[in-house]
Amino acid sequence: MTTVDCSDEMSPRALRGGAHGRLGTWLPWGVLLALAVFPLLAPLLEMEYYVGFVRRALIVMIAATSLNFIAGVGGMVALGHAGFIGVGAYGVVALVDAGVGSAWLAWGGGMLAAALAAAVIGVVSLRTREVYFLMITLAFAQMLYYLAVSLRTYGGDDGYGLYVPLSLGAGVDALAHGFYWVVLALAALVFAFGSRLAVSRFGHALKGIRDNETRMVALGYPVFRIKLAAFVGAGAVAGLAGAMLASHNAYVSPSLMHWTESATLLVMVVLGGLGRRWGAPLGVALWLVLTEVLKLYTDYWHWPMGVLLLLVVFLAPRGLAGLLDRRGA
Amino acid sequence: MSGGQALFHTEALVKRFGGLLATDHVSLSVEAGEIHALIGPNGAGKSTLVNLISGLLPADAGRIVLDGVELTGMAPHQRVRAGLSRCFQVTSVFRGETVRDNLLLAAQAHAGSSFRFLSRRAGEQALMERALVLAERVGLGEVLDEQAGALPHGVQRKLDVALALAARPRLLLLDEPMAGMGPEDSQRMVALIESLRAETAILLIEHDMDAVFQLADRVSVLVYGRVLTSGDAAHVKGHPEVQAVYLGSEEAEGDVEGAVKGNLKGERA
Repeated sequence: MTTVDCSDEMSPRALRGGAHGRLGTWLPWGVLLALAVFPLLAPLLEMEYYVGFVRRALIVMIAATSLNFIAGVGGMVALGHAGFIGVGAYGVVALVDAGVGSAWLAWGGGMLAAALAAAVIGVVSLRTREVYFLMITLAFAQMLYYLAVSLRTYGGDDGYGLYVPLSLGAGVDALAHGFYWVVLALAALVFAFGSRLAVSRFGHALKGIRDNETRMVALGYPVFRIKLAAFVGAGAVAGLAGAMLASHNAYVSPSLMHWTESATLLVMVVLGGLGRRWGAPLGVALWLVLTEVLKLYTDYWHWPMGVLLLLVVFLAPRGLAGLLDRRGA
Repeated sequence: MSGGQALFHTEALVKRFGGLLATDHVSLSVEAGEIHALIGPNGAGKSTLVNLISGLLPADAGRIVLDGVELTGMAPHQRVRAGLSRCFQVTSVFRGETVRDNLLLAAQAHAGSSFRFLSRRAGEQALMERALVLAERVGLGEVLDEQAGALPHGVQRKLDVALALAARPRLLLLDEPMAGMGPEDSQRMVALIESLRAETAILLIEHDMDAVFQLADRVSVLVYGRVLTSGDAAHVKGHPEVQAVYLGSEEAEGDVEGAVKGNLKGERA
């Protein structure tokens, strides 16, 4: 969260990655503080139900941030990101089934499994580009989906219940909102890391590949390795989100990695602002809050949602974060 | 076409596209400090040859050797690391970025690993300095903060050259650096290329015969994927087959230079 960018190096183009000036400096900290005290204030506001909602939103934001990085900064628009979420979740299931009780161990395992899956899928799919890349990542994610459906040991179609909560360590477990704060801390870490990554050497190289891959090759960059590293890293982070989602839901089923989940994640990122620093948080918040609110009024929430999304697309074609950037600049 | 001692040479390079022999056993060499020009009518296979040498296309047969190191099996980016850098016929820069950011990206490729995730590149003084040196080298010091895509064509071409120079190449492949330039820009580019001679050997592919005969120590003529002849300017101008290829055989030798140019200008239009 320390990477707010007001440096000499920020070109107008690069500026879109960051907020600006003093607002940009305190905003992440302000948001973090508000989210940190929210569970304590929620009973006073009669919003206790929403503590779980925010926790889920933060987990989804972690996954969306990783997708926003490869799609926005790296130009790798993948339609199979939910596959890695699923691998992370099933990694937890496998470890719990084998008797693991530590959340850290189970989440780490889920993350590692997702990274391995991303490495294998990346090696194949990164040889393609654009719409072909989109299709091949979709195909791989669907394979993972059907693999999960066929896994009788872990419940197949019915899914797998995690009846005993995983332990985050004695100190954290004792806190009423320990899991919430752990999720928040990890979300903040992922957000900060993503922001820093975008202005690091690696981020600059990745942007170069997005903008002009042939030239990057001619400059001597190991283009494939850079893309693969980004893809595997994003897969691992999505896997972490999946692992935490397993804990959050206390339940894992193949529907987690259905292709519509990948599509929803992509829509969130585009709505929030593809390749923009605040793109993932804003997109996830908008999507989840809208669905939550609309569901209060109607079971047929999809169509007003569609209308609202159309409005966003027309009024903010570069996403919500893009809208904010322009106002402030 | 000496083999062993030259800084760079290709040996019997072959590339087929289906039934078409696009590169027909091409053996070329470039000595250290030399500017070797490659000319030939459209469709002669010049671009294919450049792509073979830089590795964007795999060769079907033959070898490519730079400074004793065989490049033939290397990926394109490894060839750059080995000292072979190129420019593009169609200007290839990062259009949305400033000139400075373009040069920083080029400098970064040759100053340590790009697998650095946590430190901000903006803090790297050495990269900044290298970018400035490159800018000054080609005369872009005044436009560092301009967006590359908004610059005039001639200036973008200079940036293209600067990006290639970041590798500190032993051999620089210039693929029609004068393409699309007016006479003034062309002269500036000629002066720039001449000034590079001290730093790197150059393989120059160019249509502009004025430029070729001003710059080249040696000229090779490529026709139907094959090297027709190779020699100094006078040799090439006087070569009957070259004359036949470019202008039909009856033209007087004194007119060749102008006529060749006229012919090619017409061809391009």
